Amino acid sequence: MTRNKINISILIAIIFLGILLFIINLLVGSVAIPFTDLFDVLCGKKSNPTVATIVLDYRLPQAVTAIYAGAALSVAGLLMQTLFRNPLADPSMLGISSGAGLGVAIIILMTGVLGGSALSTMGIWSNLGVSLAAFAGATLVLMLILGFSSRVRNMTTLIIIGLMISYLAGSMTDIMKFFSMKEDIHAFVIWGMGSYSAVGTSKLMFFSTSITLGLFASLFMSKNLNILLLGDLYADNLGLNVKRNSIFIILISGYLTAIVTAYCGPIAFLGLAIPHMTRFIFKTSDHRILVPTVMLIGMIVSLLCNIIARMPGLEGNLPINAVTAFIGAPVVIWVILRKR
Amino acid sequence: MEVLKVKDLHIGYRDKAILPPINVSLNEGNLIALIGPNGAGKSTLFKTLTAYIKPVSGSIELMGKELSSYSAKEKAMLIGLVLTERPDDMFLKVYDVVSSGRCPYTNFFGKIEKDDENIIQESLEIVGINQLKDRYFNTLSDGEKQKVMIAKTLAQDTPIIFMDEPTAFIDYPSKIELFSLMKMLTKERNKTIIFSSHDLELLLRYTDDIWLISKGKQLISAKKDDLIGNDILKEYFNLKEDIKI
Repeated sequence: MTRNKINISILIAIIFLGILLFIINLLVGSVAIPFTDLFDVLCGKKSNPTVATIVLDYRLPQAVTAIYAGAALSVAGLLMQTLFRNPLADPSMLGISSGAGLGVAIIILMTGVLGGSALSTMGIWSNLGVSLAAFAGATLVLMLILGFSSRVRNMTTLIIIGLMISYLAGSMTDIMKFFSMKEDIHAFVIWGMGSYSAVGTSKLMFFSTSITLGLFASLFMSKNLNILLLGDLYADNLGLNVKRNSIFIILISGYLTAIVTAYCGPIAFLGLAIPHMTRFIFKTSDHRILVPTVMLIGMIVSLLCNIIARMPGLEGNLPINAVTAFIGAPVVIWVILRKR
Repeated sequence: MEVLKVKDLHIGYRDKAILPPINVSLNEGNLIALIGPNGAGKSTLFKTLTAYIKPVSGSIELMGKELSSYSAKEKAMLIGLVLTERPDDMFLKVYDVVSSGRCPYTNFFGKIEKDDENIIQESLEIVGINQLKDRYFNTLSDGEKQKVMIAKTLAQDTPIIFMDEPTAFIDYPSKIELFSLMKMLTKERNKTIIFSSHDLELLLRYTDDIWLISKGKQLISAKKDDLIGNDILKEYFNLKEDIKI
């Protein structure tokens, strides 16, 4: 009982922290915005049009993107870790991010070599094209993994297959890049660093709705995820259709990762580190608690990373991947050491 | 009442049978030991009887109905399982493991109702681990973990329980404790328990029937009294030395 009370206090503190970080996200950047101005803009009062543009067209969509991407990647990581009962599992391990990368490389090569012009010169189409290609690549790998998962019973085998697909996609990407135009290689490298700014107001609705769907689906998996903790044989004995359940979990996790990767690039370490942080904060392995709290902590850490990436004094943004790795990698090392 | 009836059962993987056809039947409230060397097919037999793998051919009747005709949920309410593999998760609590036994009965979100809570509590008490319920499973000794898995199976509330080598990896006093617990469950709670074990001398003191299994041989079901002062074991397992029981 006392543990429950502690958890509820932690939860309230975390929600407040989240709101605070969200506001800081709107205030901080290459142009600092005073709190009163922000308040005016958010309340719809008359205000400086430049400030309104910065907040409403840039920072607000970016902060919302950070929230959704953080929640989605973290839950995707939790699902993979429980399914494979492996603390180092995350969707990128199954090759889903590499698949997205390959998709992006293919579209860049196609427009560059066949179309005769660099993709980066094609304005709005380049953004949309990159997102679509990334999603197609991720989905293709996801389908491959699902195909294999219905054939192999052993989850370790599936991880190895995923890793190999990841290498294959990676090497194909490198070959594509070799034949691409210089300007586009630059575009690819930028995509690979990850960014929350590419979604923008126009695509935010689609982005957030698709992710919300995936997050809801993962909430419904809580009971099955709890049973999976006992191992496949026990889960089967308790009436769970282990194979069908694995397919659902891979599908939800892959879907969430594919959407985020398509719009924001391959963002590393959130999926790996956030589930561990959440388990340690709430000291539980009950997924009815873990799934929603992992979403919450994923949102918060993602907002924090976005603030660090846009620290005042920095001209432009740091790549988000540099920040997530900086926070995520030590967490993972700490977890591995604690486990012994 | 007859809980299990096995007729002309061939067990194995894919289409390959590994043993001659098996014919056995079991009444409720019996404690059955399955003994035989490693690799004889004990695990395959257990996996087949618990419907984890399909039989090559033949029939398995459970409570008067063909095993394959039950839904996954119905099976989960009939057959309980205790394995040698153990959950391994840092923050898994004893209570969580035991309450997972209620999974076939709870709703979509696994909500524990009053009735479930009562059965969980009772299971913890029968096994004698009520004081451990808030501990993390990973911090327990092997013997304690074994008890938790048994409590989980009792919470599952099934008439039949299969245990795969329950006495392996635990110390001698815990073995005796475990055997008397199994005996109590069959005699006082009318459970039917089938377990595999290598602790021949000990298990003879507690079990009702013993199933002998050996590579390529017909499975035979023997009464404990038949084995005592007899050469059945020596002949069945091709031993050179006499076994005095």
